[in-house]
Amino acid sequence: MSVTNLLENWSEFRHAHPVGDVPHDPYKWAMSIDLDACTGCNACSVACYAENNLPVVGKEKYAAGHSMHWMRIERYWPVDDTTSLEPATREFPDQGAQFLPMMCQQCEAAPCETVCPVGATNHTPDGLNSQAYNRCVGSRYCSANCPFKVRYFNWYDYPTTENVWPAEMTQQLNPDITLRSKGVMEKCTFCVQRIRAGERSVKNEGRVLKDGEVQTACQQVCPTGAITFGNLIDSESKVHQQWKAQRVELTADEQEKDKEADSGLRGYRILEELRAYPSVMYMERVRESAI
Amino acid sequence: MKDINEDIAWAKINKDVLKSLESPRKLYWVILAVAIAMISVAVGCEVYQYNMGMGVSNLNNPHVWGLYIATFIFWIGMSHSGTLLSAILHLMHADWRKPIYRFAEAMTTFSLMTAGLFVMVHLGRLWQFYYSLPYPNDRGLWPNFQSPLLWDAMAIFTYLSSSILFLFVGMIPDLAICRDNMHDGWRKKLYTWLSLGWEGTDRQWRNFRITYLTIACFLIPLAVSVHSIVASDFAMSQQPGWHVTSFPPYFVAGALYSGCAAIITLFIILRYTFKFEEYMTLSILKKTVRLTFAIAMIWTYLNAIEFASVWYGHDQPSKDVLIQKATGPYAPFWWGMIFCGSIVPLMLAFKRFQTNIPVLLVTSLLLNLGMWLERWMIVAPTFSHGYYPWTWDHNQWPSWVQWGIVFGSFGWFTLLFMVFCKVFPSVSMYEVKEMVYHRSRATKKLEASGMQAKGAH
Amino acid sequence: MIDNNFDRRDFLKVLGWGGAAVALTGCGNTSVQDGKETVVSYVEAAAYVAPGISTYFNSTCAQCEAGCSVTGRVREGRVLKLEGNADSVINRGKMCGLGQAGVQHHYNPDRVREPLLRNGDKGETITWEKAYELIAQKLNGVSGDNIDFMTGTISGHLKVLLSNYMDSLASKNHFVYEAISPAVQRAANLKSYGVEMPRFHINKAKVVLSFGADFLGAWVSPVHFSQQYAQFRKGSDGQRGVLVQVESKMTLTGANADRWLVVKPGTEGVLALGVINALGLAGLSLPAAVAAMVKPYDKERVSQETGVSTDHLVKLAAILKERSPSLVLLGSAAEGYAHGSQNAAAINLLNQVLGNVGKTIEAAASVPFPQVAPSLGNSAALRMVNNRLADGQTKVLFTYGVNPVFTAPKETNFAANMAKAGFKVAFAHYLDETALQADLVLPLDSALEDWGTHIAEYQPDGVQISIQQPLMEKLHANTRGMGDVLLTLIKKNRAAEYAAFEDYYAYVRTALLQNKRQFADVGVDDEVFWNDLLSAGLVNVAGTSNKLVAKLASEIKLPAAVDTDAKFPLRLIPSVTASLRDGRHANQPWLQESPDPLTTIVWDSWVEIHPKKAAELGIVEGDIVEVESKNGTVKAQAYLFNGIHPDAVSIPLGRGHDAMGRYAKGFGVNPFAILDRVFDDETGELAMHETLVKISKTGKRVIVVKDEGAAGGNQHGKKIAVNIASDQVELSGEA
Ligand code: SF4
Ligand code: SF4
Ligand code: SF4
Ligand code: SF4
Ligand code: SF4
Repeated sequence: MSVTNLLENWSEFRHAHPVGDVPHDPYKWAMSIDLDACTGCNACSVACYAENNLPVVGKEKYAAGHSMHWMRIERYWPVDDTTSLEPATREFPDQGAQFLPMMCQQCEAAPCETVCPVGATNHTPDGLNSQAYNRCVGSRYCSANCPFKVRYFNWYDYPTTENVWPAEMTQQLNPDITLRSKGVMEKCTFCVQRIRAGERSVKNEGRVLKDGEVQTACQQVCPTGAITFGNLIDSESKVHQQWKAQRVELTADEQEKDKEADSGLRGYRILEELRAYPSVMYMERVRESAI
Repeated sequence: MKDINEDIAWAKINKDVLKSLESPRKLYWVILAVAIAMISVAVGCEVYQYNMGMGVSNLNNPHVWGLYIATFIFWIGMSHSGTLLSAILHLMHADWRKPIYRFAEAMTTFSLMTAGLFVMVHLGRLWQFYYSLPYPNDRGLWPNFQSPLLWDAMAIFTYLSSSILFLFVGMIPDLAICRDNMHDGWRKKLYTWLSLGWEGTDRQWRNFRITYLTIACFLIPLAVSVHSIVASDFAMSQQPGWHVTSFPPYFVAGALYSGCAAIITLFIILRYTFKFEEYMTLSILKKTVRLTFAIAMIWTYLNAIEFASVWYGHDQPSKDVLIQKATGPYAPFWWGMIFCGSIVPLMLAFKRFQTNIPVLLVTSLLLNLGMWLERWMIVAPTFSHGYYPWTWDHNQWPSWVQWGIVFGSFGWFTLLFMVFCKVFPSVSMYEVKEMVYHRSRATKKLEASGMQAKGAH
Repeated sequence: MIDNNFDRRDFLKVLGWGGAAVALTGCGNTSVQDGKETVVSYVEAAAYVAPGISTYFNSTCAQCEAGCSVTGRVREGRVLKLEGNADSVINRGKMCGLGQAGVQHHYNPDRVREPLLRNGDKGETITWEKAYELIAQKLNGVSGDNIDFMTGTISGHLKVLLSNYMDSLASKNHFVYEAISPAVQRAANLKSYGVEMPRFHINKAKVVLSFGADFLGAWVSPVHFSQQYAQFRKGSDGQRGVLVQVESKMTLTGANADRWLVVKPGTEGVLALGVINALGLAGLSLPAAVAAMVKPYDKERVSQETGVSTDHLVKLAAILKERSPSLVLLGSAAEGYAHGSQNAAAINLLNQVLGNVGKTIEAAASVPFPQVAPSLGNSAALRMVNNRLADGQTKVLFTYGVNPVFTAPKETNFAANMAKAGFKVAFAHYLDETALQADLVLPLDSALEDWGTHIAEYQPDGVQISIQQPLMEKLHANTRGMGDVLLTLIKKNRAAEYAAFEDYYAYVRTALLQNKRQFADVGVDDEVFWNDLLSAGLVNVAGTSNKLVAKLASEIKLPAAVDTDAKFPLRLIPSVTASLRDGRHANQPWLQESPDPLTTIVWDSWVEIHPKKAAELGIVEGDIVEVESKNGTVKAQAYLFNGIHPDAVSIPLGRGHDAMGRYAKGFGVNPFAILDRVFDDETGELAMHETLVKISKTGKRVIVVKDEGAAGGNQHGKKIAVNIASDQVELSGEA
C-alpha cells in the first residue's frame, strides 16, 4: 500500500466517462427499450427476480417502501396531446396507458458513484455502474443522489427473514451471484454475471463477444422483444444500430430529437439534462393519429 | 444591571468555581438520572435496529435518509457555539465571554461526539464503518476521496481532535488550581497529571498564550469548513432542494445560530444548577442574546436568499421541492422552522426580554427547535419529491426507533456535559480573574481621572 | 448437449442421489452425519455434468394451457430458472411472468408431501400402497355412472391414460372444468368458421379491433400473441398496426391500445353491428342479409346504447375500411353475458364482412391424433358435476388440476354438495380449498419433476407436441407423477395391457417411439430419436390443414339494453389478471409481489371504481368497501380508476384463498364467491359479467399497497415516458 498505489487505483476506476481519458474498449454495454413494443407485462421484472436472487419482501415490507424490484414497470397515463407533458384530465384513459421499464440506467457520469464514501459503487471499463456489496457500508448516499431512484437498500437481512427463502426455495437461488445481507445497497447490474461469464468464455477463443451472445435476463424473457442489450461500440450490434438510427449519442446531453421539431425520431434518454449520460435509450411509444 | 463584582477576591473565585466540582444542587443529580434514562432509550433502539436491520427506522427506498442525518447536522451545528465564543471572540478580545467560554467549548466537543454517533447509527453496516477511513490495508483500498461524506468524516475528526486540544490547553492553569486545592484522591492525581506541571511561571504563561492563540486561529477556519463540508453533502449532490450554492454559508450561519441559542439555554441551566450567579451575570447574558439576535437575522436573510434564488432560478424541480415544503405534508414543520427561526428571535430585540430568564429559556429552546426543524426540512422533503415522480413518497414518517435515538442523543449530550462540569471547572477561573483585574484597573484609572465608572464593556 | 446412450433415469442416478429417499437437493438437505444418506461425489458425474457449469434441458411450462416450451437451467442438480425454448413456435424463447414462477411451484414450501387420509378434521399420513388399496376398496361395487373424474384442461398421454382408466371403470364422467375459458367463443367460432379455435394473425393485420380479448395478458396464448403484437406494431411495409380495444374495464391489452373505447357492459355486440352498419354506409359492400340485419343499428342508436361516440364509431369504420386486412378479436369481456353467444356472433360477423377470414384468421391444423388432442375445459362442467353431486349421483369423485371449492360461486353450494359424495380423492400440489374437502389427498410431483406430453389448444403453426421431462430429481420422496398414479390405478383393472410399462416414463417413451415415423426418419435409431426428442423438448407435426368455412350468421338477437336492477345498480367485472388468473398459482410469491400492471397493487385485492362513481358514493382510495351481490359480499380496498365504465366495478380473480399455503392464504378476496348464477343462453357457460352488485363504504380505510407513488401516473411535466403521434415519426428508417 502506498500513495503510488492509491493514485494508480484511482485513475483505474475514476475515468471521466464518457468524454474522458480512456475510450471504452472492447465493450460498452448499453440498452435500448422500445416503449412502442413494451406492453407492461412484468415478465422482465420476474425474470430479474429469478436471475438476480431478489427477495420477495411481502406485503408489509412492500407497504413500507422496502420492495427490491431492480426492474420496475411504471405505469403512466398519457398526456393530452403529444406536445404537452401535462397529464390527461379526460374522463377515460382512451389513449391507453404508458408503461416504462425502469432500472439502473448505468449512467456514464453516474451521480451515485462520486458520492459513495468507500468507492463501493464505481465504473467499470466496459461502462457499467458496478456495485461491490462487500465494500458497501450502507450510507445510502448513492441512492440519495441517484436521479432515477433505482437503488434498492437491504433494509432487513432478507436471506434470514421468514418466508423470503424458506428451506426448499433456497435451492432456486442463482449461485453465480451472492445473496445480499442487511445494510448493503443493490441495483440492476445489467446482469453482470452473465456478461462476465460470456467474456470469459470467448477469451479462451481469443475473440470478443458477438451481438446476442450475452443477453440480460429481462431482455431474454421479454415477449415483445422490447429490450435490446448489447455492445454499443460494436457496429454490428442491434443496440448500436438502434442508437445510431435514433441519432442518440452517448456523450451528448441533448439529442437530435430535442433539437429538431420534425425529426421523425423517437429515441431519448430520461433526465438527459442532468448529464448523467445514461446507457439506456428509450424509444417513444407511438400513438395512431387516425383514430 | 449587576455585572461581575470587580472587588471580588481571587480566592473567592477559586472557591466558588471549585465548589461546582463538589456540591451542586440536587437538580444536578436529577438531570444526570434523566440523561441516563434517555440514553438507555436510544441504546435500546439502536440494539434493536442493529439486529433487525435499518428497516425498523421506517426509512425506505427512495427515502433513505431521515432524522439521523438531520440530527447529525443539528449537533454539528451546535458545536459551533464553542468555537465562536472561545476562539472568535478570544481573537476579538471580547472580554465578556470569559466566564462562559469554557462550557461553550465543552459543548463543542460533546456536540461533535454526539454528531459522530449519528453517522454510526445511520450506517447500514455499522460494523464496517472503518471502510470509510483512510487506513493502511493489504489490498491497497482507499476510501473515495471524491465523496463529501468522506470529507465529512475527516473534517469532523479533525475538528473534534482540535477542539479537545483547545479545551484542554485552555484549562491547564485552572487544572493546576484544582490540583492545588484538592485533597488526595483520584481527582488530585487526575489534575496533577493533566496540569502538566503548571507552576504559573512567566515562561509557562508566555508559551501558554502563544499555544492557545495558535490553536484558536487554527480552529476558526476548521469550524467554518466543517459545516461547509456538511453542507457539501447536500450542495455537492445533484438533487433538487440540495444543490444550492449558498448552502455552506447558510449552514455555518445556522450552526452559529443554534450554537448561540444553546449557549443561552445552558447558561441559564448552569447558572442555576452550579450557583454561578456571581460569574454568569445578566450583563453577559444580554450580550449573548444580542449576538444571537444578530445571527438569527443573518440566518433569516440567507434563508430568504435561498428561497428567492430557487424561485427566480429556472430549475423547476427545485421549485417544486420548495412548494412541496411549504404546502405538502411537511408544511407544518417547515412553517414551524420559519416561525421558530425567524419570528421567535424578534423577541430578543426587546431590551426587557434580553435579561428575562424564563422568557430567554423558552425562546432559546424554541430557537433550537427551529434549527432542528431546519435540518429536517433540508434532508427529508427532497426524498419525498425528487426528480423522479414515480417514486415520490409523501407518507414517509420516522418510526419510534428514529425518534428514540434522536431523543436519547440529548441525554447523551447532557450526560457528557454534566459529568464534565462536575469534573472540570466549567468557568475559567484564571480568565475571570484576568477580567476582574483588568476591569478594576480600568475603573481605578477612570476614578483617578475623575470620571465616573460606567460599568464594564 | 446430451450423450448417446442417454438414459434419463440413469442420468438422475449419476447425479449422485439416485435411489436415495431424499432426492437431489444440493448441499442443503442431505445429512452426512447420521450416515443414512449416500453421498456420491462429482468424481463420478457424467461427462456432461460439470460442477459450476449449468446444463439446460427443455420441457414444457405447466403454469397455464398455452403450452409454451421452456428451457430449464440446471446446476448441481437443481433447477434454477426457466427460460423460453427458442425452437418453440408457440413462445419462441419467451415467457410470461406466470410461467417463470413455475420454479416457485416446484420449490414451494407448502407442497403436499405425503398421502393424507381424512381422519375427522385432520389429515393422517398414509402410504401410497394404502391409498391405492383404499381407492380400489371404495370403487369396489360402485357403478361407473357414479364415478366422476374432474380435471382441468388435459392433453397428451395423460389424457389417454385417464380416458382409458375411465373406460376401465365403465365411467363416462370425465368432466373438464376451467373456471376461465373461452368456451362461448369456441362455440361461436365453430358456427362462424367451422373450427373452435382458428389461428389469429395479429402480425398480419393492419388494424386489430379487440372486444375485450386480453391477448397481451391472459387470453389463450399471451406469450405467442405478444410476439405477434410486436411484429404488428413494427408493421408490414412501414405501416404500424393500429390497435383499438373495446371493453368496459381496461385490460393490459386495452392499456396498450391506440384507442381504448369504453362501452356500457354487455353492448359489445351492438357496437359490432353498428360498426358493420357504418362500414356499409362508408361504402363497404355487405351481403344483403347482413345489411338488412344491421340496418337498425344506426350510429345514433349504437352510440346511445354503447356509450361510444358517433365520432369514434365513424372513425373506427373508416380506419377498418381503409386498412385491410384487419382482425377482430373476441374476448371474455364480450362473452360473459347471457347473450354472450350473440355478442360473439356479432363480433365474428364483423370479421367476416371485413374479409379477414382466410387472411388474418386461418384454420389451425388439427391434431392428427385425436386421442392426445386437448380436452378443453369450460364452466358448464362445473354445473354438471355440481348437479350430480347435489343429486347424489356421484359416489366417488376424483379431482385433478382443479379447485372447484374456490372457483365455484358460493351460491352453487359446491362444498356442501361435494360432501355428499361418499369418497373424494384430490390429486393435489397444495392443500387447497378442494383438497381440504377431500377424504384422500394424493401429493403430486411438480411439473419440473414429472414426465408428460402436452398439446395446447392454440396452435400457431402445425401441431406442437411439447415434451415434459424432469429437470431434476424429486424434492420429496412421497410425491408421485400423475401419470404414474393413473398407470398404477389402471393396472388394477387392466393389468395385462399395461404390464409392459414399469412406469409412466416407460409408457410415454414407448408411446412416442411407436409413433416415431410421424416425427422423424424411419431409419433413425430409437435411442437417437428419443434423445433428440428430449433434447428438443418438443416435436412438430404438420397436422391436418383445414380451410375455414365462413358461415354468415342469419340472425343475431341482442338485448336493447342490459338489465339493471334498482337494488344492485352496478355490474361486477371479475377481472382476469395475467399472473393470477383463476388463482391456482396464488401461492407463488413472485406473482403476489408482481404489481398488477394497471393499478400496480401487490399482495391484495381491490375494487376498481370510476372516480365519477366514487365521488357520487363518497369513496376515496383505500376505503374498504363492501361489494354485495344477491349471493354474498366481499370487502376490499377501493382503487379509483378511470379505465372502467362508471356503471361497473371490478375485482381481480385469483386471490382470496383461505387455504393453499402461506403466500396465498389470507391475501385479498375471492369474487368467484359472489357471482350470480346467470348462464349464456346457448352454451350454458357461466356468464361471468352478469353479476349485479351494490357497493357501500364500511368506514374503514387502509393505505393501498402499490408501487405507484404519491404522484400517481402523473409525470409532472417531465419527459419520462413519452409518446409520439404516428404521423410525426418515421418508422421505416429504424434499425
Ligand atoms: S417483459 Fe418486455 S413487454 Fe413486458 S414489461 Fe418488460 S419490457 Fe415490457
Ligand atoms: S441510474 Fe442511478 S444507480 Fe444507476 S448509474 Fe445512474 S445514478 Fe447510479
Ligand atoms: S450505500 Fe454503499 S454503495 Fe451506496 S454510497 Fe453508501 S457505501 Fe456506497
Ligand atoms: S439487466 Fe439484469 S439486473 Fe438489470 S433489470 Fe434486467 S434482469 Fe435485472
Ligand atoms: S403463457 Fe402459459 S404456458 Fe406460456 S409461459 Fe406463460 S404460463 Fe407458461
